[in-house]
Amino acid sequence: MQRFLQVCARVSLGVACLAGFCYAQDFQAPAAVSAGDEADIPTTGSGKATFYLVGPGVSRKSEVNLGESIHLPAQDTKIAGDYLAIVCSSTCRSGGFYVSAAKPATLTFLVHPSRVPVAQSDAVSGVLLPFDQFHNLILHPLTVNFQLATGNASLLSRQVPTQNGTAWFRALSGKSAGLLQVIAAVDDLSARRAVQQVASDPCNLRITGQRTKTGIIVQTEPVRDCAGNPVPDGTIVTFTATGANGKSSVDAPIKRGVAQAQMLASGATSISAASGVVMGNEVRVGAQQ
Amino acid sequence: MHMSNHLARFRSSCSVAAFALCLGVSLNLHAADSAVQVQLDFKKASPRGVEELTERAILRDYRFAWTSIAQALEFNTVDPLEGPFAGDAKRWLKQSVVSQQQSGLNQKYLDQTHRVEAVFYAPEGDVMELHDTAEYQLQISDGGKVIHDEHAVVHYVVLMTPAADRWVIRLLQAVPQF
Amino acid sequence: MKFAIPITLVVLTVLLMVAGLVWTGHAGGTVGIAAGSAMYGLTPNADTPEHALANLLTDAQRRNWDRAYADVSKTSDVDESSFIQDWIGSNGGLRSFSSLEGFDSRPMHITNDEAQMRVRLHWTTPVGPIEDARDFHLIKEGDVWKTVWPKVQVPSVPAQVVPVTYLRWDLVTGGAADEWGSKNVDAPHVRIISMNAVDSAEGAVVMGEVVNEDTIPAFVNVNATLVDGAGNAIDQENSFDKIAHILLPKQVTPYRIDFPTISLKSVKNVRMDVKATLVPASADPVIGVMNQKVESDVQGKSILHGDLLNESGQTVNIPHVVASFYDNNGKVVWVADGYVDRALLPQSSEPFAVEIPRSLAGKVQNFHVVVNQYSLGRS
Repeated sequence: MQRFLQVCARVSLGVACLAGFCYAQDFQAPAAVSAGDEADIPTTGSGKATFYLVGPGVSRKSEVNLGESIHLPAQDTKIAGDYLAIVCSSTCRSGGFYVSAAKPATLTFLVHPSRVPVAQSDAVSGVLLPFDQFHNLILHPLTVNFQLATGNASLLSRQVPTQNGTAWFRALSGKSAGLLQVIAAVDDLSARRAVQQVASDPCNLRITGQRTKTGIIVQTEPVRDCAGNPVPDGTIVTFTATGANGKSSVDAPIKRGVAQAQMLASGATSISAASGVVMGNEVRVGAQQ
Repeated sequence: MHMSNHLARFRSSCSVAAFALCLGVSLNLHAADSAVQVQLDFKKASPRGVEELTERAILRDYRFAWTSIAQALEFNTVDPLEGPFAGDAKRWLKQSVVSQQQSGLNQKYLDQTHRVEAVFYAPEGDVMELHDTAEYQLQISDGGKVIHDEHAVVHYVVLMTPAADRWVIRLLQAVPQF
Repeated sequence: MKFAIPITLVVLTVLLMVAGLVWTGHAGGTVGIAAGSAMYGLTPNADTPEHALANLLTDAQRRNWDRAYADVSKTSDVDESSFIQDWIGSNGGLRSFSSLEGFDSRPMHITNDEAQMRVRLHWTTPVGPIEDARDFHLIKEGDVWKTVWPKVQVPSVPAQVVPVTYLRWDLVTGGAADEWGSKNVDAPHVRIISMNAVDSAEGAVVMGEVVNEDTIPAFVNVNATLVDGAGNAIDQENSFDKIAHILLPKQVTPYRIDFPTISLKSVKNVRMDVKATLVPASADPVIGVMNQKVESDVQGKSILHGDLLNESGQTVNIPHVVASFYDNNGKVVWVADGYVDRALLPQSSEPFAVEIPRSLAGKVQNFHVVVNQYSLGRS
């Protein structure tokens, strides 16, 4: 008898399902979600099911009741990208949705170089990438305000819309050595960088030579670039002396704006100087008395 | 006499089996690597033109990155993610792997084809943006049982930056369209 | 049976020890040239100049200083401590870390009472093998020959205070956190200003000059890749120590990259790559290169020689000279380097010499020398 009743129950259930009185699981994935927003996934059907959420940075599984809404907490939708929601009971159904970036919260600002010679065209460049608070790249257009200034002088002020999440600029360096402030702003967010403007190659490198008891002391005049900026201390000036005893050379660093070296030469000597690929003048020093 | 013959046969069988296993694994890895097809187009890269060596490096490193993603998510290990990724991309992918380890899921990215276009190359060459239309067979399994199997077409926005000896992916963000 | 292996090992060890002692100092054999040393404890009598010199050099090689000094003539103007110092070096110079591997000597001139011997000394050093050619004068004292040791010139540096006012650069590295774009210090800008690829007796050579165009010091390495007609890389090498690695702002250094056993016939292109990294550095010491001349040495080789003058107040333990040679068009035709095995004391000088290959000596119209230096305990 018991066995007969079990069989009858199963047959009745099957007929009821065929008649549409049994609901399989179904759900509706969210249309669009902003990063960090909570979302709900309504489901239909009855009974227990397994819910899977697979996406960037998330891969979780939980037991749910069909017919109830599945809640997606904010931490599950932090990362922008494509997500897959899968509900499995007797069969598995899936639906995808996208999480897009939230509003701008941080700016990644890449500026090059960190040191630049003065008065060079297209010497300074920068790229700005806006991100939301979860480090998702913001791809819809934003207006970026780039500004370059040295002291009180403004070198550049330009508004550039982002394209594919990036905005960039290129500008010439200032005429004077010193710190160049580079600022990029999007609404009330901003990022600052500093570029050191340094003197260009030495210009009009001039030397003098004086005979002493031990040899010749050679010295440059204050070494400056063509714009008058002093060449930084530590820059090497190569002095070369040619005389009867052969050739002598010294790589001397600039100290307090001048470079100086001691050369051993007793006879009449011709001395020249060079710094990098820039040549200076030549002086002749007579023989030792 | 019999025992030594059996022992000898057993040893040789083990050797053959070990060799076959190694061969199989290596072929599988090779197959995984050769299953990732990448076509790269640099015509639209600006403002800086892409150097020939850079083109080759990007192709090589992007392909390797996707091979690594496939391995990491299939075998639930973070090791393949160390080299080809940096920054948030590495963090998120590792998070995916850890999440999969906890839930018992794994993903397979099979028969990958990537049609990639470079859309931005910074003036100093320190960042490149790529748009990748990726097609692959995505299989998601729970404890060995396949719960999802589809031919997926996904659009990725990718940021790559030069590292010490390669280009690395810093951002891999899927979008509905470019 | 079970002792067979240990006994075999012991016997082999003893045989190898004997062989090492017997064949110490042998440096190849050329008929007519005395080389190496005799068996330990069985040195021949100094009855010929060759034997006398060989005894001296063997004893010096084994650091038997008493025996070596006993081989020196009493007419020499050198005491034993100066003699030893001359051999083993001092002040952390390269000689202090070197050992005499072997020697070849040959007679230049022999009479009944005196002889002139030319010796090539083969040194093993931390920077590789170095050869040194010296002439020794020997005289006969009674039945034996003795070597006249030249007076050892030790620089006399008066006590003084030398202020150091040259610039120094320190490097502060950022934190480990990856903040993309926020901490940006560019690598130094260096540029290759010339490149010349030639075939030499030992293989292909790529050489030229590189300049630090930046305002900060750079640690520089130059790499070259030889590429064939199909665009495939044949070989890749770097400049190793044939370059002055640390370049101060606007400093120029030559570089040379050797590709042994490769000929340029199969090379279609040379791809150059210069790597520069930030490095702490000091503009001190300043070393002058004085009295540079190209002349032929006693062996008929073309040598660029001169003196290094240390114009600073610190000892330079191991000076290293890198020289570029130019033809009359100003093209770099060769780059040679050499180490000075004695330390450069403050305000004093030491001679240096670098060899120019015979095939190129005639083309050299000009040259430029830079000095690299390694100082113990300093960056």
